[in-house]
Amino acid sequence: MSGGTVDRARAMAAPLGRPALAAAAFVVLAAVFFAVIGRNPLAMIGVVLEAAAGDSYAIGESLVRATPILLCALATALPARVGLISVGAEGQFYAGAIAGTGTVLSMLPTPGWTMLPLMLVTGALGGMVWSLVAGLLRTGLQVNETISTLLTNYVAALLVTWLVYGPWKNPASQGWPATVEFPAAARLPALFDSRVHAGLLIGIALAVVLHLVLTRTRWGLVLDVLRSNPRAGLVAGLDFRRNALIVMALGGALAGLAGIAETASIQGRLQSDIAGGAGFSGFLVAWLARNHCLRIIPLSLLVGALLASGDGLQMFAQVPSSVTLVIQGLLFVAVLLVNGWLDRKRPA
Amino acid sequence: MTSFDIVFGSFLVSALRSATPLVFVLVGETLVQRTGSINLGVEGQMLVGAMAGYGAAALWGDPWLGLVAGAGAGMLLSSVHGLLTLAARANQFASGLAVWMLGFGLSAYYGAGLVGRKIEGFGTWRGAGLDDVPVLGPIVAGMTPTVLLALVVAPAVAWWFWRTRTGLVWRAVGESPEAARAAGLRPIRVRLQAILLGGLLSGLGGAALSVDHTRTWAEGMTAGRGLVAVGLVIVARWNPWWVLPTALLFGGAEALALRLQTADAGVSAHLLLTLPYITSLAVLTLTCLRDRGQAAPAGLRAVMDR
Repeated sequence: MSGGTVDRARAMAAPLGRPALAAAAFVVLAAVFFAVIGRNPLAMIGVVLEAAAGDSYAIGESLVRATPILLCALATALPARVGLISVGAEGQFYAGAIAGTGTVLSMLPTPGWTMLPLMLVTGALGGMVWSLVAGLLRTGLQVNETISTLLTNYVAALLVTWLVYGPWKNPASQGWPATVEFPAAARLPALFDSRVHAGLLIGIALAVVLHLVLTRTRWGLVLDVLRSNPRAGLVAGLDFRRNALIVMALGGALAGLAGIAETASIQGRLQSDIAGGAGFSGFLVAWLARNHCLRIIPLSLLVGALLASGDGLQMFAQVPSSVTLVIQGLLFVAVLLVNGWLDRKRPA
Repeated sequence: MTSFDIVFGSFLVSALRSATPLVFVLVGETLVQRTGSINLGVEGQMLVGAMAGYGAAALWGDPWLGLVAGAGAGMLLSSVHGLLTLAARANQFASGLAVWMLGFGLSAYYGAGLVGRKIEGFGTWRGAGLDDVPVLGPIVAGMTPTVLLALVVAPAVAWWFWRTRTGLVWRAVGESPEAARAAGLRPIRVRLQAILLGGLLSGLGGAALSVDHTRTWAEGMTAGRGLVAVGLVIVARWNPWWVLPTALLFGGAEALALRLQTADAGVSAHLLLTLPYITSLAVLTLTCLRDRGQAAPAGLRAVMDR
């Protein structure tokens, strides 16, 4: 065999070898962690699999967890296409939940068929506006978008808490801080007679559309140039600021959509802490997928299943559900370790 | 002593106490960024520091041991960031977030048994005869050992950083790793030392928060202080001398929020709690407006601007 064939074979195997290597590193790290906390790693991995996909209920709960993560991953991947590292999906999720809830509450006495589309649109707009704060700070004043999105996340979460303890609190709910229950007209249709809702299908469809737009259109190419070679973009007359604002706005809209869909269809009312880290899990998924929109679909299902298994771990193995947070962190570490190691020859 | 002195003095004390955990983190992250890295994982390092510190204080009944344990835990976790960014050359922002997730999960897991536990904290010097000394008396009397430690650590590090040969080496690595390497220095080793020292200080900051400032442990209790610190390093213009006044901005905003809350100013406590984040972002924006990113160490600009 000539050297060229070997190289070609190696090049073809590389994309397959990378995930396999990362998965192996992850399993080793997770096994070490289970051993450290005094659990049999094999038994624990069995419980995780059982709790994530053991029966139709488990699969349904995994899909429920995956839905907001999928949208938040797209919300991270899109700004990343011009090289922006936005960690703001969590805050945009809350902003979308606030805006959409505002629409529902304002239409409440007489909910009609317009409620659902209006709620979804205002939810997306809420996330968009929130994301544009960081986008404008970056494009106008050079404020690092990673830091500004992280700080505004806390503000958005506190605004939700303020609303549900104060102006929007349901007076009938005694001590529990939440809005009134949303009417049936505000719920997305459920799938397969479970808690899974149409938001999952919307997310998958949006991932496919985004993938096509990013890979098949001139605009996708413009974003690639702006990311990989800003100087060439400048010479070619491409507008970084304009495109950065567009991807931040679209990303924010996706996370906002995730927020209002979760509020309306899963929680049924607005309350504190509903994001539950979906924005950050979305960031992890986007990173695992290397911002590839199609790869985001299976990977968000995987991470959703991992997090959903936390409830099962608590029930069947008497392990606190925070174990899944550690496992999620180890997954991130494993992938960064393997990818970084394989790419280390490239200039940073 | 006028009532102005009392009001101002007690406000300054609460601002200082709120700022104290942040001072440690901010000093550490300043050194990390000065040598050309950025570590968002300080949030997770603070959390494991807060949890380990609180656990140690509860177990052995000594808050000093809590501070030591917290510092150790923070340093241990920061080694993950060092491994990922220096050995595997992973993206620094992503690595920091991974460390944050890991720290959040580990502290939640090991801290579950600490929720609701009581500990023996530090005392103040109130009633030790200082209260009657004009102006400074009540301020010093209201301090705890961690506040004093912060007031010593920040200038000590600043002095070390600007006046010693090692400080010069660290600055050189941050300005130009290539030139530093050509001069026979080892940039990777210096960066690792900075990351580990940053981890130690953020863990200490976390322990100062749980063992001294709040005297409780709760999941995710640092509430973004570490991330605020990453932003405030820019406000302090990567200069350890500016750490104290910058941390006081955050501490002052937090103290003001608490003050308004107890004064029943008619504004929701939850809205007031957004003040520290908004203040931090506002001063960060003002700094960026003035500097246009030019004040950053050259080695760091490559990471930040991409």
